[in-house]
Amino acid sequence: MSDRLLDLRNVQKRFGSVVALDGVSLQVASGSVHALLGENGAGKTTLMRIAYGLTRPDLGRIGVGGTWRHFRSPMDALDAGVGMVQQHFSLVPSMTVAENVVLGTRLPFRPTVIRRIVLELAEKTGLPVDPDARVETLSIGAQQRVEILKVLVRDARVLILDEPTAVLPPQQGRELLSWVRNFCTEDRAVVLITHKLEDVRAVADAVTVLRGGRCILTGKTYDIPDDTLVGAMLGAPLEPVERVVRHAPSGPPILQAKDVTLRDARGIVRIRNADFSVRAGEVIGVAGVEGSGHRELLRAVAGRLKPFSGSLVLPQRVGYVPEDRQNDALLASLDLRQNLLLHDAARRRGFLRWKSVERSAESLISAFDIHASGPRAAVDTLSGGNQQRFVLAREISDRPDLLVAANPTRGLDVRAAQYVLELLGKLRDDGMAVIIQSNDIDELLETCDRILVTHAGRVREARPDRDLIGRIMVGAA
Amino acid sequence: METLLTAFLASTVRTATPLALASLGEGMCERAGVINLGMEGTIIAGAFGAAVGAAAGGTVLGIAGGALAGLVVSCVFGIFAIWLRTDQIITGTAVTLGALGLTSALYRVTFGTQGVALSIPTLAPLPLPLLSSIPVLGSAFFSQPVLTYIAFVLAPVCSWFLFRTRTGLIWRATGESPEAVRSAGGRPVQVQLLATSLSGLLGGLAGACLVLSQVGTFADGMSAGRGFIAIAVVALGRWHPSGILAASLLFGGSSALQYLFQAAATAIPYQVFLALPYMMALVVLTSGRRGHAAPAALGGKLENSLS
Repeated sequence: MSDRLLDLRNVQKRFGSVVALDGVSLQVASGSVHALLGENGAGKTTLMRIAYGLTRPDLGRIGVGGTWRHFRSPMDALDAGVGMVQQHFSLVPSMTVAENVVLGTRLPFRPTVIRRIVLELAEKTGLPVDPDARVETLSIGAQQRVEILKVLVRDARVLILDEPTAVLPPQQGRELLSWVRNFCTEDRAVVLITHKLEDVRAVADAVTVLRGGRCILTGKTYDIPDDTLVGAMLGAPLEPVERVVRHAPSGPPILQAKDVTLRDARGIVRIRNADFSVRAGEVIGVAGVEGSGHRELLRAVAGRLKPFSGSLVLPQRVGYVPEDRQNDALLASLDLRQNLLLHDAARRRGFLRWKSVERSAESLISAFDIHASGPRAAVDTLSGGNQQRFVLAREISDRPDLLVAANPTRGLDVRAAQYVLELLGKLRDDGMAVIIQSNDIDELLETCDRILVTHAGRVREARPDRDLIGRIMVGAA
Repeated sequence: METLLTAFLASTVRTATPLALASLGEGMCERAGVINLGMEGTIIAGAFGAAVGAAAGGTVLGIAGGALAGLVVSCVFGIFAIWLRTDQIITGTAVTLGALGLTSALYRVTFGTQGVALSIPTLAPLPLPLLSSIPVLGSAFFSQPVLTYIAFVLAPVCSWFLFRTRTGLIWRATGESPEAVRSAGGRPVQVQLLATSLSGLLGGLAGACLVLSQVGTFADGMSAGRGFIAIAVVALGRWHPSGILAASLLFGGSSALQYLFQAAATAIPYQVFLALPYMMALVVLTSGRRGHAAPAALGGKLENSLS
């Protein structure tokens, strides 16, 4: 097994009564990029957390470079040469890049020395970073580079990346994948967790598909056609996505922005002199890279951020699905009834009528096919897809004139994402105006009638052209 | 005038010493993300431990007894708040109230129901050669009991540890993001237990200082809120050891000023000077780079999925 740099055998893991991994094996050859493909909840991340010592397996063996290992913590894994960049970064925001990189290492601790080490490593690996910058001031892409350097500074030979392209704009995502390709020389290997087929095609030598905690398929990427991969991921063939027929909206304009300038909480101007309008019965897409102002734009049209100057006319009732549903839209430990009440809690006065609240919650559960044990189920007992359905259902339950949704399919598997997009299309057909922000341009092209692109504080309407939008996003057009 | 100034400075340093010890302990603990409201409890336990130790075997045993008692109390806090992950604020308050009651009870059991004033050996000032003969400052700063010198040396040592060592980096990172430390291969639970123990040790020394170099006996509730003042001192010192030492001296100074004005019988009520440092702490907390100085994960619980 000398060419098997990472060798996982018959790994099993339960969380309570849920079987997360049911005897999964994975062999990663040195010199290869190995994609781990699967839907949400397939067990990809759990398997890799086990390989990195963050989670302990109930059963199974972990081999690195021909030796069986027993990992009690990430420290043991790093010592063995296995490093992982998790999907949600684990950096210390208030510390500098250099401090974050050397955290937990045995490197000599002197500011000048660690600065030089980080600069040299950045140079050698082709991952540019400023060692003196505070992490909280960096873009998502730069934070990701810091995370990778953190692992490489310890000479990791097996690099595990969990959904690395999900947080990046398309151009940077491609750059990262080509970096991965170059990184993967003779004595190294990369495990790429993803649910994007194009990532697999772009860079992976081998692919393993997980579904429901089982290994469904494994082999060389070029041997396996797309249909087979998708079939293995989903279990049953997926219905083709219905192409939206773009039509001229007939409704009156319900949102008008004239010369709108927005500032964030720190007083920094994020959107400058924006002009646009939205009519009833159309779906508007918003695309933009991290820090381009799309976040503030979304909050402003949702009525959550007052313009600093200019005029922004909003309809009376606006539904809002924020990007971070767990923190900004739901109280995880409370039940569905109480979370439903949150919707217009600020406008209501007087006593609560629990019976009618319970009935409304029940009707939402059945109308939107939300998998929950009932209106009294706590939100954190629902899966991510069902939480998203619930938030959507709640926000459209009083038929608002406008629905604003930030990254509505983020973290959802193919099926759940398709459901959400179809629902948004239906609302449009019923005469609602919908504004969607997404990191996935293809998703916007599929769903939206018009697309607004933000770049460095400017808002521009763009033709539905993938290449053009991508270029405006990064400032190349 | 010169003697008055010297007396004022000496009084400032004397009052500031126990506060500085406790505040440095609290500050180190908060840097690791733990807010130890049990500090008041560790001080009173330290005072009692020092009284018992000193009565049994002199001042050295007194200091050891104080430190040990503080350590034990903070370990109780640590076991609950960090190991068993109970709420830090509630646990700290419970530990403080428990220690205040327990020391009163033990005092009566050990030294009789009348609570007869103990006569125990105290720490004599230890003038440092040469330094203590500097005019005005010499006798104020360099003719003090040994615990004062410990407090003064401790501040730069803590700074050096936090900002110039690898372990210090992990310590600070634990206060900012325990999850990042865990992912980098560190052990945040161990760091926090260690930080809590250190705060107990220093809180115990603060109590020992009250008994051995100030009052000369034990009295119920003699910690007199210093553990809570320490939390304000840490904020005023912006979570930095040298800032904490300076803030302790400021609190000490306003107490000393209060004695002075009490004696001079001026129009200004002396309580104003007692209130001054608290008002400054509030101003510091609400101004400037808000939220940047306080550790981000302060008071939070640790996610521990490794089981």
